[in-house]
Amino acid sequence: MAWITKPSATEKIERRGEAYLTDAMRTSITDDFIPRFETTMACILPALHMIQHEYGWIPKQAMEEIARHLEVAPADVFDTATFYEEYWLKPKGKCLISVCRSIACEVCGQQEITDAVREKLGIEVSETTDDGKFTLVELECLGACGGAPAILVGETLHEKVTPEQVVEIIDRVEREIDAGGGH
Amino acid sequence: MPKAKYENSLDRHYLLKNIPTPPFGDVKARHIVSYDEYVGNGGYQGLRKTLTMTPNEIIGEVKQSSLRGRGGAGFPAGVKWSFLPPIKLADGTEVGDEHAGKDVPVEGRYLAVNADESEPGTFKDRLLMECDPHALLEGIAICCYACRLSKAYIFIRGEYHHQAHVLEKALKEAYEQGIFGDKGIIGSGENTAGPRFRVDCYVHRGAGAYICGEETGLLEAIEGKRGWPRTKPPFPAIKGLFGKPTIINNVETLCHIPDIINHGAAWFCELGVESSVGGPPSFGTKLMGVSGHVERPGVYECELGIPLRTLVDEFCGGMRNGKKFKGAIAGGVSMGVLGPDQFDAELDFDIGRKYNVLGLGTACPTVFDEDTDMVAVCRNISRFFKHESCGQCTPCREGSGWLYQLLCKIESGDGRTKDLDLALEIATSMGTMPGTTICGLADGNNWATRTIMSKYREEFEARVKPTYVPVAMTVGASAKG
Repeated sequence: MAWITKPSATEKIERRGEAYLTDAMRTSITDDFIPRFETTMACILPALHMIQHEYGWIPKQAMEEIARHLEVAPADVFDTATFYEEYWLKPKGKCLISVCRSIACEVCGQQEITDAVREKLGIEVSETTDDGKFTLVELECLGACGGAPAILVGETLHEKVTPEQVVEIIDRVEREIDAGGGH
Repeated sequence: MPKAKYENSLDRHYLLKNIPTPPFGDVKARHIVSYDEYVGNGGYQGLRKTLTMTPNEIIGEVKQSSLRGRGGAGFPAGVKWSFLPPIKLADGTEVGDEHAGKDVPVEGRYLAVNADESEPGTFKDRLLMECDPHALLEGIAICCYACRLSKAYIFIRGEYHHQAHVLEKALKEAYEQGIFGDKGIIGSGENTAGPRFRVDCYVHRGAGAYICGEETGLLEAIEGKRGWPRTKPPFPAIKGLFGKPTIINNVETLCHIPDIINHGAAWFCELGVESSVGGPPSFGTKLMGVSGHVERPGVYECELGIPLRTLVDEFCGGMRNGKKFKGAIAGGVSMGVLGPDQFDAELDFDIGRKYNVLGLGTACPTVFDEDTDMVAVCRNISRFFKHESCGQCTPCREGSGWLYQLLCKIESGDGRTKDLDLALEIATSMGTMPGTTICGLADGNNWATRTIMSKYREEFEARVKPTYVPVAMTVGASAKG
């Protein structure tokens, strides 16, 4: 629900000395993205994507840095970031497991897939494992209804999965994470 | 009128002609058509041909083909293109055909490509983008040339990671080969067939919001704001992206353009069917993504007007495990549901008038077999709309939540008969049709709930307890008075 916001008047922003928006990102935004659009505000989405891709979530300090760089109000960046579901405003696990729960997947056995993941990882939907490796969410349509049930593990789509396959995929990803590769 | 026989052969495929593999299997294993392969199969010929035509001729050709938008609403693409205001030169004259090939200022006219395919049940654009990205790019180039647009933004949904990467790669090739950018529209060098014309094309990634598929919501999202649809008018063709004239087309619509230019409007009009109820015709082929309880779900290219039964029996290998047909979502959940007696419904743009659904939508049916619990289906769909309501208009934001709660209650068996009427009342009072919301998202909710509840009324009634109607009784002292 994109429209639910939390009271933020009393909220403290955690800060760190080092900037989240690296020089490489700044150059990329200035050279690649700003010339594309009439307004700098249009670069908010790509900039947020960059931050999320790098850190896995979007800290408030990063939003302020984006606002300063694009010369827009921090509230504008916050407004946009809170609306879109894909942006994580709090840390998530290294690997995000998104199970599609829309109609085609539900009638083709999505519940068993979610249950398999829950059982395997010992977490409920929208929770993160204690070791910070996996986060499980249920999403609306992934646009893969022909391959229902479908799950998105990290950025990889798996179609027509069975509960057994899900367990295998999770094992494989866990080995990759342990070997040092972020997913 | 519907044809007796529909062929499932590759030589009847136009959109999918470069994608010989059946649309199943692992996503990454599917073959991606490169620039060289695309050109080898006659690609970018349409674009070269358009350079010998004037913009008005191209728009006229598209208008004549009566190509209707493939994104859901079915608005004729050529008509949409002709809504753009003319460009005025410094001396006040309007740019017309006599300016073809001359340098005219086109800055600040945009094309927004709607690749935000998020409607449950719909997965056709995914295939086009991930396997044959150059078909889309050619369509974009032709559209920009015909309408004199300076920039094109492909707004692709955030979950399509692989597709976005494929498009980025294809775009890079297109820039190198003189389709877009400095050397624009088929190289400005010695091979130039026509005038130099600069178009820029970018992939713009969304971030997971269904509402951004609504055309004005999409514009807001490109502008970096929350994807709240705008009130219309002004329509995007007059005041769109950054307040400038903007054309918004679906991916599949644009993919049809090269073939229409190549083969002519008359060829296109031979495919598909005339309207049987006196409306505008449904010409051409259409990608139909069948999901749900069929043997071989997937994307098939069929002529419009194909009966759902033919699509399921001949293309998809029939119902899964030989079960009986119970119903199907016409094309994306917001279009409503075809009932058990409507298996023979023809999939064309008349479907809304003939079968009590909202419309053809994206022509991607989700098929249900006899074991499906339609109350659960209804609950699932209402949850989708509750989740994706952008929150701008109160009837949709609040109504979708109430509706979901009511349907949960009915599904769990705690509902009463009056809850059915209440659910229907909530559903029918939101949307642009009753005039209470800005965009059509609530109409989808409205139609889905209404069609399911009316076509499967007995299932709902079996789930609820009768409402206790209090009868006025007077007892005791007051009875005497």
